[in-house]
Amino acid sequence: MQAAGIEPEPAFFDESSRALLFATNNPAISIIRVRAFDVATFVAHGAAHIGIVGSDVIDEFDYSELYAPVDLGIGRCRISVAMPRDAVDDVQAGHIRVATKYPATTARYYHARGIQAECVKLNGAMELAPSLGLSGRIVDLVSSGKTLAENGLVETAIISHVSARLIVNRAAFKMMSGTIPALVQAFRELSGARAAA
Amino acid sequence: MKIPPDLLPEGFRDRLPPQAEVAARVSRAMIDVLTSYGYARVAPAIAEFESALAERSGGAARNQHLRFTDPVSGHTLALRGDITVQVGRIATTRMQESPRPLRLCYHGQVLRLKAKQLRPERELTQLGAELIGNDSVAAACEIVGVAIDALEAAGVKDITIDFTLPDLVERLAEKALPLAPDKIDAVRSELDMKDAGGLSVLGADAYLPLLAATGPFDAAVEKLRAIDAGGALASRIQALESIAATVAGRANVTLDPTERHGFEYQSWFGFTIFAKGYSAALGRGGTYYIDRADGPSEAATGFSLYPDPLIDLAEESNVQRLFLPLGTDAATGAKLRSEGWVTVAALDENDSAAVLGCTHIWINGQAVTV
Repeated sequence: MQAAGIEPEPAFFDESSRALLFATNNPAISIIRVRAFDVATFVAHGAAHIGIVGSDVIDEFDYSELYAPVDLGIGRCRISVAMPRDAVDDVQAGHIRVATKYPATTARYYHARGIQAECVKLNGAMELAPSLGLSGRIVDLVSSGKTLAENGLVETAIISHVSARLIVNRAAFKMMSGTIPALVQAFRELSGARAAA
Repeated sequence: MKIPPDLLPEGFRDRLPPQAEVAARVSRAMIDVLTSYGYARVAPAIAEFESALAERSGGAARNQHLRFTDPVSGHTLALRGDITVQVGRIATTRMQESPRPLRLCYHGQVLRLKAKQLRPERELTQLGAELIGNDSVAAACEIVGVAIDALEAAGVKDITIDFTLPDLVERLAEKALPLAPDKIDAVRSELDMKDAGGLSVLGADAYLPLLAATGPFDAAVEKLRAIDAGGALASRIQALESIAATVAGRANVTLDPTERHGFEYQSWFGFTIFAKGYSAALGRGGTYYIDRADGPSEAATGFSLYPDPLIDLAEESNVQRLFLPLGTDAATGAKLRSEGWVTVAALDENDSAAVLGCTHIWINGQAVTV
């Protein structure tokens, strides 16, 4: 953001600050901080014009009002299926139950494979679900795989690779055509330059 | 679960005073513009046979009808989700002998099977005009101009019109920038998200410059011209420029050649209308084909507006309500109404002007402010 010419006020970096709305050096831009899962919703409704969020969240909500023009190439991880080491595979298991924070992504993944799967929506600690009999599998974000291993799970399939994206509200992109496309271009060049370096 | 009494189903609402009056006024103002351009009004039926409606609807709309079984015919009926397809049916069946170009307009309610998270309403007002039998540049100019006029009549200011070329990718993929047929959908979907990284992964780097050819019309069209592969787009670019010239000064024009939101059935030209103060598009239009059972499909150009957001934000008109006390004779009331007053007559001595929301009282032959 700094390189694109946006400097947040100091409180933005202050971990103890409870504020949610921050000013920047540019009076036309202010920054809000919301939960990762809400970023796409704020931008899709036009409550925020642009946002930065993982592609996992974008895919999960699949909002038609969003553009995801720039892959920022940071926060890389993946969404994967994991199950206990001794579990039967998808073909043999007649009925699959999956604990996940991503019910839509999970349903789409199994649907594309013609497998009937039932999702249990959890908001955290998915890794506990198989050992306690809540579900046979989980679908969750994996970066190193350490949490999975500690809970006796193995990663069996990667659903998609995740990285942080710049997202833009569709109506804002058209109506603020003087400023937003230029900002997008700046981010695109900066992330391209970083990827090349 | 017991249904709570007197609650409407999700996504439906009543319009109360003065909102219902505002809705009628805003719609009337826009329809008057359409009829003044020679568009004759049609009022299609609210329900049709589901199979017929679905066949004429393109893309996702096909499965978006609210359906029920008709006890008379035993067939499934559907409540309309888009009046445009009904106008197409009328034009190519009962009005197929009418001279072309045929100009028709309409206004009515449409229903959705499911609400979208971004638009919780399931009952929407739709209003539009269709020019059937012509999809030339002249037709597109007229339609865009009429759409702007209609919105201005409804009090909308600061209009932005976003042009697009709905069949652009297919056209380029044919020859100029070849693509494997199985990749076209994936490329379009990445272009939709304006995801440059995704395009590179698909090996469609040749399409990357299209992402940059968006934004204010003049600059964007120059970029589009620069990537015009082998002249495949020359006629399209020229057409866009003529249309843009006719709206210059009345609306901001932007270009997004790969946009296809809501353009499932459009052919060479499409446009979306935005306005300051409204977070979503107010309407869209473009050129398309209507299938005919008895021959080749017919070209058409048109637009649809969804004016509910305009109605919700419209200013309430300043109505002067005149209280007629008990004993005012009928002739006086009739005379005052003919002069333009809204009169509220007292029915007994307990009625009061203030309680009934009147601005004036008729006292001794004069309207006195409350």
